[in-house]
Amino acid sequence: MRMTPVSRSQQRRLGFDIFFHGLLWLCALVVLALLGGLILLMATGGWKAFTTFGLGFFTHSSWNPVHDVYGVIAPLLGTVVSTTIAILFALPMAFGAAFWLTFIASARVSAIVGMTIQLLAAVPSIIFGMWGFLVIVPFIARNIQPFFNHHLRHSAFGPLLSGPPVGTGLMAAGIVLAIMIAPFMTAVMTDVFKAIPPMLRESAFGLGATRWEVMHKIVVPWSRNGMIGAVVLGMGRALGETMAVTFIIGNVTTVGWSLFAPRSTVASLIALQFPESPAGSLRLSSLMALGFILMLLSCVSLVLARFLRGKRQ
Amino acid sequence: MTSPLLSSSELRSGESMHDVALAVRDLNFYYGDHHALHDITLDFPARCVTAMIGPSGCGKSTLLRVFNKIYDLYPGQRATGEVMFDGRNILESSTNLDMLRSRIGMVFQKPTPFPMSIYDNIAFGVKLHEKLSRTEMDERVQDVLTRVALWNEVRDRLSAPAAGLSGGQQQRLCIARSIATRPEVLLLDEPTSALDPISTARIEELLDELKEEFTIAIVTHNMQQAARCADRVAFFYLGGLVEVDTADRIFTNPRQKQTQDYITGRFG
Repeated sequence: MRMTPVSRSQQRRLGFDIFFHGLLWLCALVVLALLGGLILLMATGGWKAFTTFGLGFFTHSSWNPVHDVYGVIAPLLGTVVSTTIAILFALPMAFGAAFWLTFIASARVSAIVGMTIQLLAAVPSIIFGMWGFLVIVPFIARNIQPFFNHHLRHSAFGPLLSGPPVGTGLMAAGIVLAIMIAPFMTAVMTDVFKAIPPMLRESAFGLGATRWEVMHKIVVPWSRNGMIGAVVLGMGRALGETMAVTFIIGNVTTVGWSLFAPRSTVASLIALQFPESPAGSLRLSSLMALGFILMLLSCVSLVLARFLRGKRQ
Repeated sequence: MTSPLLSSSELRSGESMHDVALAVRDLNFYYGDHHALHDITLDFPARCVTAMIGPSGCGKSTLLRVFNKIYDLYPGQRATGEVMFDGRNILESSTNLDMLRSRIGMVFQKPTPFPMSIYDNIAFGVKLHEKLSRTEMDERVQDVLTRVALWNEVRDRLSAPAAGLSGGQQQRLCIARSIATRPEVLLLDEPTSALDPISTARIEELLDELKEEFTIAIVTHNMQQAARCADRVAFFYLGGLVEVDTADRIFTNPRQKQTQDYITGRFG
């Protein structure tokens, strides 16, 4: 069947219109169906785990293949906490970099640094994983954790710092994730800042505002929505990041306060255990259920962002 | 010296008798390598409206941007010469920009409401320079909004976002915001170019009232507007000042042929 109309007669055109209309509909439907299929696959795959453990699936802290008892608290906490740490580190980095690139650096320097940041965003995550394992993990083990442990052990932060200095853990994962997502967030924020009308900024400066006042009274409120978008983008990547995290988080499914003890995340746990779980087993089902929860988490973050955005109008 | 309006002969012969708010001497301006203003020498009498006219790209907006040194935000833009304001040359690098900009306000081609409430739009500039109590601030806000004839339209929604106002209201808000810091000079860069005729008329009326108190420099593409509002008109062409005189003279009997050609629409 030809897609291009040969004749320009009315009827042929009408037929083509209907055909093309249908094609576009189909494209949209495929996307919807794909999403639905993914959710369905995860939900049905995880059904066995959900029904076997019930609510206990969400409250049980151990993930024990030996006794075939699974609870999602440990990997879920790992994902949420490492992502939170990543955002906490990446947000100021990205904001500062984007602000500097847009408003302070000269055009030439800005172009060079901007390009470098884009290159950084294109580095495959496995590279970050190796770098994290070889650089960040030893650095945390030898310097950061001993330092904080020495000074803050008896403060309220004590529990967060406990454990042997092995370096792997939530802090290492959070830092590496932060460095992975910061370039993305910087790129989005740079675009947002560039969209601020120059006249708006000049008006504020024209009233005698300092650079600081313009930043926090004009630039930040004006670009709030865009910054939320940047955070969600980074969060989405951090939530699902698998290989780099698997390298450096230690992969131990325990629950505890320490940010420096080995943990695991949803994605890393699935990556490690999926290949060795036999079909139809409770373990495979539990991993699929974890996948379902991860999807849900991403959706919730997206919806949350929409909600935060909508509130402004 | 409080006479707000001088006859044309007085202005020409006795300029020295009148306060000069801004005195420009041999000003040159560069955008990087581009020489945008050539040896401008021009006085802006206090409490008068001086209009700057000329074809696009003739440098009139650039001159306006020199007065509050807003060009300073952009590396590569620089000015040489002298702009005397209150006994000091503002072009010197020692000039305190925040102070200068609180004394010389600016309004742009398009309304630029800040992303905050109507009230805060006005309070923003005031808070930068003065510590006022809540009631003093309320009074200030009401005062300036009344003067730009906006108070009755917005009194019930001061805490609503300024972005919800119409274009003409937004521009009046921007003028209110500029005069709220009690400047001495008001720079207006084609303030009505984005507005409908009714809003334009209101702003022109407003200028007439404001000049009792402020020195006003306005850039406009609208010759009728210059004729209606300005006491003095300066005609710029290709980065140079061609002629400056009272509005009457410029529009009825200009000395330069170029001015004549421009105001009669033969080029520009």
